[in-house]
Amino acid sequence: MMFKPKIIGFVCNWSQPTTLNSAGTGRIWGYPRIRFVRVMCIGRIDPVAVLETFAKGADGVLLIGCHPPDCHYVEGNLQTEYTVEILKKLIPLAGLEPERVKLLWYSPSEKQSFGQHVKDFYEQVKNFGPSPLRNEQPQSKLMLNILATKNVASDFRLRVLLGREKELTEGVNVYGEHIPKEELDATFDDIIREEFVRHMFYLLTKTKPFSVKELAETVGMKPAAVLRQIVNMRRRNMIILDHVEGTTPFYKALEVK
Amino acid sequence: MTVISCALEKKRKLPPCRAACPADVNVQGYISLLQQGKFKEAVELIRKSMPFPAICGRICVSPCQDACSRKNSDQPVGIRYLKRLAADIEREQGRIKPDSILKKHGEKIAIVGAGPAGLSAAYELAKLGYPVTVFERMPEPGGMMRYGIPDYRLRKYVVANEIAYIQDLGVEIETGVEFGKDITLDTLRDKGYRAVFIATGAQLSSKLGIPGEDLHGVFHAVEFLRLVAQGKTVDIGEKVAVIGGGNSAIDAARTSLRLGAKEVTILYRRSRNEMPALPHEIEAAEEEGVKFHFLVAPKRIIGEGTRVKEIECLRMELGKPDASGRKRPVPIQGSEHTYTVDTVIPAISQVVETSCLPTVLLDERKETILADSLTLETKILGVFAGGDIATGPASVIEAIGAGKRVATSIDRFLNGQDLHAGREEETESVSWVKDWEKITKKPERYKAPQVDVGRQSVSFEEADRLLSQAKELATVEARRCLGCGPCSECLLNEGLCDADKAIVDETLCTGCNVCAVVCPFGAIKKNERGVAQVDDLSCKGCGICSARCPEKAIIMERFTDDQIRTDISYALKKEFA
Ligand SMILES: Cc1cc2nc3c(=O)[nH]c(=O)nc-3n(C[C@H](O)[C@H](O)[C@H](O)COP(=O)(O)OP(=O)(O)OC[C@H]3O[C@@H](n4cnc5c(N)ncnc54)[C@H](O)[C@@H]3O)c2cc1C
Repeated sequence: MMFKPKIIGFVCNWSQPTTLNSAGTGRIWGYPRIRFVRVMCIGRIDPVAVLETFAKGADGVLLIGCHPPDCHYVEGNLQTEYTVEILKKLIPLAGLEPERVKLLWYSPSEKQSFGQHVKDFYEQVKNFGPSPLRNEQPQSKLMLNILATKNVASDFRLRVLLGREKELTEGVNVYGEHIPKEELDATFDDIIREEFVRHMFYLLTKTKPFSVKELAETVGMKPAAVLRQIVNMRRRNMIILDHVEGTTPFYKALEVK
Repeated sequence: MTVISCALEKKRKLPPCRAACPADVNVQGYISLLQQGKFKEAVELIRKSMPFPAICGRICVSPCQDACSRKNSDQPVGIRYLKRLAADIEREQGRIKPDSILKKHGEKIAIVGAGPAGLSAAYELAKLGYPVTVFERMPEPGGMMRYGIPDYRLRKYVVANEIAYIQDLGVEIETGVEFGKDITLDTLRDKGYRAVFIATGAQLSSKLGIPGEDLHGVFHAVEFLRLVAQGKTVDIGEKVAVIGGGNSAIDAARTSLRLGAKEVTILYRRSRNEMPALPHEIEAAEEEGVKFHFLVAPKRIIGEGTRVKEIECLRMELGKPDASGRKRPVPIQGSEHTYTVDTVIPAISQVVETSCLPTVLLDERKETILADSLTLETKILGVFAGGDIATGPASVIEAIGAGKRVATSIDRFLNGQDLHAGREEETESVSWVKDWEKITKKPERYKAPQVDVGRQSVSFEEADRLLSQAKELATVEARRCLGCGPCSECLLNEGLCDADKAIVDETLCTGCNVCAVVCPFGAIKKNERGVAQVDDLSCKGCGICSARCPEKAIIMERFTDDQIRTDISYALKKEFA
C-alpha cells in the first residue's frame, strides 16, 4: 500500500488557509492528510509542542504564520523562526529528518504559491516515508530519544537564550550587547549536545539501573565522558547510586515528586 | 491603587481611529476582519454602528484615518478605501436584506428630515423595535447625500441601496411632506407620535452679502447642486467663478466642469493651506483643470442688464489668526480687479432654514436650533434635534453620530429613564507602540478608484480577476494596521474572536524576565517582588510569552498547553482520509 503521510499544521488565527471547524482542527482543500491546529499566533507554539507532535506519530509538522511584517502580534512570526531553528537542531537527535518540520508564510493574497509550497512539503514527507516514531513502544530507544529532546527544549538555559535571541543578536538589550548569530548558534549547539546526553541518561536510568559501561554502549560515548556526566548529574540530584554489583556501581534516575 | 490611577482606570481605552470617530465605529475591529479576508463580516460589523458603509466608504471625511497612528511611521491605513471595498463586495452579491425586527414597542416616533442624522436615528430606533416614520420634503430621501454631494463622488444608487436597507428594517419614509407646512409639532403630537427628532440640516447657502448677488447667473452652491441632482438643466455658460474654499466649493466647481463650463476658477480669500476642503478633493479638482486664485475676495458682482458679466475682487493678505485658528484675511486697499464671468457660484457656507421651525427652539441669534450637546434634547419635552441643524454645516459622520445619540435619548425618554446618566463616558486614545523606530515601514498598498467609473463591459473572468486582485491588495493593506487599541476593542466583544489572555502562575515564576522581553506589546513587567505581572488591557493574547517561559509559569486562558495537546491528539487520531 502506498504511504500516506500524516501531517499536522499549526496555523495562526489571522492566516488560516482553510475554514477550520469549531474544534480548531480542519483540513486544507486538496490536502486531506494535513490536519490543522489553530492558535491565536503561531508564536504561541512552543518547540516542546512540536516535539510532542512527532512523539505522537506525526510524519511532518507545518507551522503557518503571517509574512514577517504582517504579524497581527508584530513579532510572533520572528519568534517562530527562532523556534524552527531550534527544532531543526533537535529533531535529528531523535532520528528524524530536520526537513520534516517546515515554516510557511501565508497571506490570502498568495493562495497559489502557498498551495505549491504545501504540495512540495507533502511530497517531501512522503519521500521520507513514515516517521520511525509512528508505531514505537513508549520505552523504545527512539521514543526515549524524542522525549530527551523534549526535555532539552524545556531546559531553562536554552529557553532563556531563545527568549533573548532577538535582544542578543540584534544588540537591542539595555547594555547594547551584541552577540554574533554564529556565536549564539554555537552556544545553542553546546547546550543541546550536553543536555541531550544528560536527559538520555536520565530517561534510560528511569527504566532500570545502569552502569557507566552500559550507558556508554547504549549511547555510543566514551565511558570517561559518561562518568563526567554522571558526576555532574549526581550533583544536580538527577541521578542516584542504586546498587553495586561487584565493583561496578549502578545508577538510577531520581524521580521528582 | 491610588485615587488618581483609579480615576484613570475608568476611562475607556480606545484605538485612535475609533476614538476619533463621531459615530463610534469599531474601526480596528473591521480592519482585523479584513486582515483575514472576511469582507462580509467586516461590513456586518460596520453596520452594527451605522447604516452607511458604502456611503462613508466614499465620502466620509474619515477622522479615523487622520488619527491613525501608522502615520507616525509612514502613512495612515487606507481605512476609507477599505470600507468602500468591503461594502461594494457585499453589494456584488446582490441586494442585502436585514432580518426583520419584531416591533417590541408601541410608541410611535417621528423623524423630520431624511438626511444622515434622521436616517441613522431611524435605523437605531427600528433596531430597538420602535415604529418609526421619517418625514421628508424632497421627493427622495438622503438629504445632502442625495441632493448635495455630486453624483460623480457618490452615486445615487449607492445612497438608495443603503436607505432601502433601513426601510427593510421597517422604517417608514414619507417624502414630499414639509415640516412647518404639511406637519407641525402639534399635528404630530395629535397623530400620536410620542417623540420627535428634528434633523432638517442646513439647507440654505450663506449669502455673500455684496451688491449684485441677485443677478441672473448667480447660483448659490447648495441650490445649484440640488438643481443638478434633480436632473434639471442649469445654464452656466463658459466661465464660472466659484467663491469659497470648502468641499461644497470644490463640488460646485467640478460639477460646473461636468456641465460643460470651459473655465472654472475657485476664488478663495485665504491661502491654500487654510482651505477647509479635503486635500484629495482639492487635488482631484486641480487634475480636472479647475483653477485656483488664492487671497482674493469678491467685492461686487457687476451685471449687464439682469445678467452677470464681471466679478470685482479685492486682494487679501493674511493677518493674525482668528477664532477658528486660521489666519484672518485682510483686504489690501486699492487692489480691486475684475474677472469676466458668465456664472458666479457663492459656496461659502450653509445656514439653517429657521423659517419652518418653532422660534422657541432656536438659539439666541436665531441661527441654529438649541440642543443639549450630550442628549440632543431641545427646550420642548420629547423633541430632539441634531445633525447640521444643531451644529451648522458639518459632515455625514457627525450627523450619524448625532442620530445615534438621539436614538439612545429617545429610547430612554420613552422608558422614563434619565437621559444623562452614565453617558459622559471618558475615552482615551491609546497605542501600544512606544518606539516608532522599531515599527517596520510598509507602503500603502490599496487605493480604490476616486471616481466611480462608468460601467464598462468586461468578461466574467476579467471581473473575477479584478475583484480578487482588489481583495488581495485590501487584505495586505489591512495588515498595515497595528491594532493600537486594547485587545477587547477589536472583536472579542462582538463574539467574532476568541481572544486569549496570559496568566502568570506566581508560584512558578522565577523572575527571569524572558516574558517581558518577548512580549511585543510591553504588557508584562516584573512587580516589586520580581514576579511577572500581565497588564490585562495591553495583553493581546498571542501567547508568545507562554511559549517561551522557561518555567512554564505563564498559562494562556483559552489556548492552554493542554488544549493544544488535546487538539494535536484529536487531529492525529481522527481518521486520515
Ligand atoms: C455640497 C456638499 C458636499 C458635502 N460633502 C461632504 C462630504 O464629502 N463628506 C461629508 O462627510 N459631508 C459632506 N457634506 C456635509 C454633509 O452632507 C452634511 O453635514 C450632512 O448631510 C448633514 O446631515 P443632516 O442629516 O443633518 O442634514 P441633511 O443631510 O441636510 O438632511 C436634512 C434633510 O431634511 C430635509 N428637510 C429640510 N427641511 C425640511 C422640512 N421643513 N420638512 C421636511 N424635511 C426637511 C432635507 O430635505 C434633507 O433631506 C457636504 C455638504 C454639502 C452641501
